[in-house]
Amino acid sequence: MLKNILKKKEFTIFLMIIIFSLIVTVLNSNFLKIGNFVDIAKGNVVYGIMAFGMLVVLISGGIDLSVPANITLSSVICGELLVKTGLSLFPIILVCIVVSGLVGLINGILITKAKLPPFVATLGVNSIIMGLVLYYTRGSMITGLPEWFRDFGVMRLLQVGDFNIPIQVVFYIVAAFITYFVLRHTVFGRGVYAVGGNPLNAARVGYNVDQITILIYVFSGFMMGLAAVVNTSVLQGVNPNTYAGVDMTVISIAVIGGASTLGGVGSVLGTVLGTLLMGVLQNGLIMAKISSFWQEIIMGIVILVAVSADIISRKREQAKLVHVDVDESEEVL
Amino acid sequence: MGKFNDTLSKYRTEKNLIIIFIISFAILGMLRPSQFLTLSNISSMAYQMPEFGIFTLGMMAIIMTGGINLSIVTTGTFIAIISALIMTSEFAVNSPILGIIVGLIVMIVMAIVTGCLNGAFVAYIGVPALLGTLGTSSLFQGIGLNVTKGGAISGLPSQFMAIGNNDILGIPIPMIIYIVVIIFSHYFLMRSVFGVHLHMVGSNPRASEFSGIDIKKVIMKAFIYSAFMSALAGMVMTARYNSAKVDYGSSYMMQAVTAAVLGGTDISGGTGSVAGVVIAVAIIQVVTTGLNIIGLDRNLVDISIGLILIVVLTLRHFSEVSKNKKLIEKRRASS
Amino acid sequence: MKKILSILLTLVMVLTMVAACGGGDTPAEEEAPAEEAGEAAEDAADDAEEVADDAEEAEAGAEDGTFKIGIMPKLMGIPYFESTGEGAIQAGEELGVEVIYNGPTKADAAEQVKMLEDWINSGVDAIAVAPNDSAAMEPVLQKAKDAGIIVLDWDTPTESDLVDASVRQIDNQTLGERLFDNLVKVMGKEEGNYAIVTGGLSAANLNTWIDFGTEYAAEAYPGLNLVTEKIPSDEIQQEAYTKTLDLVKAYPELEGIIGYSTVAPLGVAQAIRELGKQDEIAVVGTATEEDSQDFLSDGSLDIATLWDPARLGYLTVGVAKALLEGQTLEDGMEIEGFGPIELQGDNIIIMGPPDDYVAE
Repeated sequence: MLKNILKKKEFTIFLMIIIFSLIVTVLNSNFLKIGNFVDIAKGNVVYGIMAFGMLVVLISGGIDLSVPANITLSSVICGELLVKTGLSLFPIILVCIVVSGLVGLINGILITKAKLPPFVATLGVNSIIMGLVLYYTRGSMITGLPEWFRDFGVMRLLQVGDFNIPIQVVFYIVAAFITYFVLRHTVFGRGVYAVGGNPLNAARVGYNVDQITILIYVFSGFMMGLAAVVNTSVLQGVNPNTYAGVDMTVISIAVIGGASTLGGVGSVLGTVLGTLLMGVLQNGLIMAKISSFWQEIIMGIVILVAVSADIISRKREQAKLVHVDVDESEEVL
Repeated sequence: MGKFNDTLSKYRTEKNLIIIFIISFAILGMLRPSQFLTLSNISSMAYQMPEFGIFTLGMMAIIMTGGINLSIVTTGTFIAIISALIMTSEFAVNSPILGIIVGLIVMIVMAIVTGCLNGAFVAYIGVPALLGTLGTSSLFQGIGLNVTKGGAISGLPSQFMAIGNNDILGIPIPMIIYIVVIIFSHYFLMRSVFGVHLHMVGSNPRASEFSGIDIKKVIMKAFIYSAFMSALAGMVMTARYNSAKVDYGSSYMMQAVTAAVLGGTDISGGTGSVAGVVIAVAIIQVVTTGLNIIGLDRNLVDISIGLILIVVLTLRHFSEVSKNKKLIEKRRASS
Repeated sequence: MKKILSILLTLVMVLTMVAACGGGDTPAEEEAPAEEAGEAAEDAADDAEEVADDAEEAEAGAEDGTFKIGIMPKLMGIPYFESTGEGAIQAGEELGVEVIYNGPTKADAAEQVKMLEDWINSGVDAIAVAPNDSAAMEPVLQKAKDAGIIVLDWDTPTESDLVDASVRQIDNQTLGERLFDNLVKVMGKEEGNYAIVTGGLSAANLNTWIDFGTEYAAEAYPGLNLVTEKIPSDEIQQEAYTKTLDLVKAYPELEGIIGYSTVAPLGVAQAIRELGKQDEIAVVGTATEEDSQDFLSDGSLDIATLWDPARLGYLTVGVAKALLEGQTLEDGMEIEGFGPIELQGDNIIIMGPPDDYVAE
């Protein structure tokens, strides 16, 4: 049992989280309090939800750089709907998911039909949509959300002492389960891994690669739409200038969590741990009372160390596998 | 004539790009003849283009290996800050020429060090380029912030400022640097043994490994070249703006990827052309400058660059498809 | 050959469409879907001609004595610089000058320099820039001067000898000190622990205010203790929010937070609201009146300090016009549509003291 856990690909990153947490705890014992972890969770679920979308794209060997524009667009729509219409929560979520899904559809079509590399297609779509949103909104903030939505944003479940579950975390868990289910228990999910492993083989085995690819970007869009609503509930307002560059944060989370930019590899558990590491890192640097001028340097070093350690341990694992000549049917999750 | 046609089809990407360039130039020239088609505007574009172009060449070399370099701009500003510190230090004030020379030597040394750092992570440890360079980027920026405390380093020797703002026989000095860089890059990336290896590693790493190429070394060299380009572009920026600061040029990062891809670099590695990239840089320069002069909202300028990228690449794909079809038909007909 | 032709056509379409929209500046035109673009190409070409005609008219206008004034913010698309832009454009209409209000989409000094160079070539009569970095502007301002263009800075000074006038919303020192006075006022005592959440570590104007403020505090309120270095929030509300949550936990003894940049105080206030520490932690900072109302109402933000950005935009255009008409700046002189101005030295115009916004 223990051996199995140690063997898991996610173990290296889990170890990193523990080591880092220990160091911070020594420097400031407040770090270990439950309330702090609740805050870390609430502060990072938005990145986490987006990372699930990115995870699926990365597994398929693609990349989605339209993330900033997509979440900006949906956030603005979410804010406008809240302020100007009497729609309730679920219709709003639905609209946002559909809108962001449509952006994903555009990505998918450009990638499959116009055969643009994902990097280029999503980069272009990002600058076009971001430009349009900022041009029409003039970047102005949307505030004055209805009372019920604000109450919803600060809702906490299972309150016991310092422990509680912010409502946003519930959405995160739902997103995690959906992603897990889709990847592990649907034909589409197996298709994602197949396409990421080798598109030609996937086509030969009978997967409709184009269809799967389009669906992947639509799925990524869905997650962005959901993230937009969740983020609006955290921030209690919409600021269209918030999201430039968020794509890199999200990609880092997924890759730190073991997803490969070359495709074929990646897991929900890893992405969850990746989100946790980034969250703990940001929180820990302040908790450990480290000067702001050093935080970026440490951030860079930790990213490099985390990914390097992961890669080195995987290489060792592979070398061992080859040596013992065990078959390669290792679980992906 | 047949040979001429062959050459033309070999350089079809470049040819199409030149056509796009001429058309953009013509349209914008027609819209604003009295402002766009002036000597001073053309000269100011010649001052603006080099820093962007040099960054883009650095980006292109890494994309050709199948990776990406998110640290091009931060490497440039980081090196510029350290060099600027030396050039503004006490001994340099007393003997500016010596200060500039020492500054340039430091620049070269740092380019090698930063390039090796990137290369070590990506080639030798095997960290994905995207994340490795993101990490080093954050590292360089952090050190730059620490050194400057967020401010700008200014008061560089006037002799150094001349590099960014003077001309020789009417040609801006940044442009001369750019031209030298282009010629060097063309031979280094397209014609040298290293260039051949670079193409092979990018298009098929496994095959190149079997044919005895040291992939790691090739990637390492590409990163050192890229760091050199960053350092040069950083120096040109510093000279042009008479100061160095951590966030100068932050908008060049994604623009450089756009220009590299527009110039025919295959984002998955393998193909790339210095000439194509140079023309693509010129297209982006002309379009942004022209639309600036027209007074178009900057968000709409970003949109048009995005549109050009998607449209050109889509057309490139379909022209590729139809070319292949023709080839197949030709073969069928001849057999 | 077909492909080349199609490339040509699309490019013509894209450029003319974009150009036409920009020239007309009516969003409606832009909504023309791309699929129709093929048919629309001819129309677009017509539009483009119209734009060209407009341009000629504009030039003709300039000969009639209409001045063309370029006002450049640090970046487009953030509420503060949209408000200044509205003021500037309003001034253009009321004062009868042509105002171009445009800037980069990222706060990047390099982009600003490029755009300024393009403006110089497009033949503006005056340039006013809110520099992302003061030092970087020197060479391009020199170019503008050489081209006979009136040069101003606004919002953030370039500290250059080249500018004909420097329009400042407030005196930096006054604002820096005011924020600390406000903090002490809200805390109700002259000692205690406080933290600073700022927009970015390399934002020059924010750093100036912080430096003036901390120097002043060292003298006036020696009991105040800054618990850690200023915390950057990358001008992102979410960052300011999470980092404030972390700050409060890391430094439980915290009694006050000053937020710099128009976004950071909002993120700070939001965290304080969520923690329910409105009464325990004093929050002051720089935020616009409109954006801060919500947080002021329940005391999660205690005092917001800023100025009217639209008036700043208006004043900048007014001063530029006065200079173009050959007037010399004097203390107390009347600026059309604005009123009398306060002059410091030869050419530094101070719009007035900052305004404090509190709960209504």
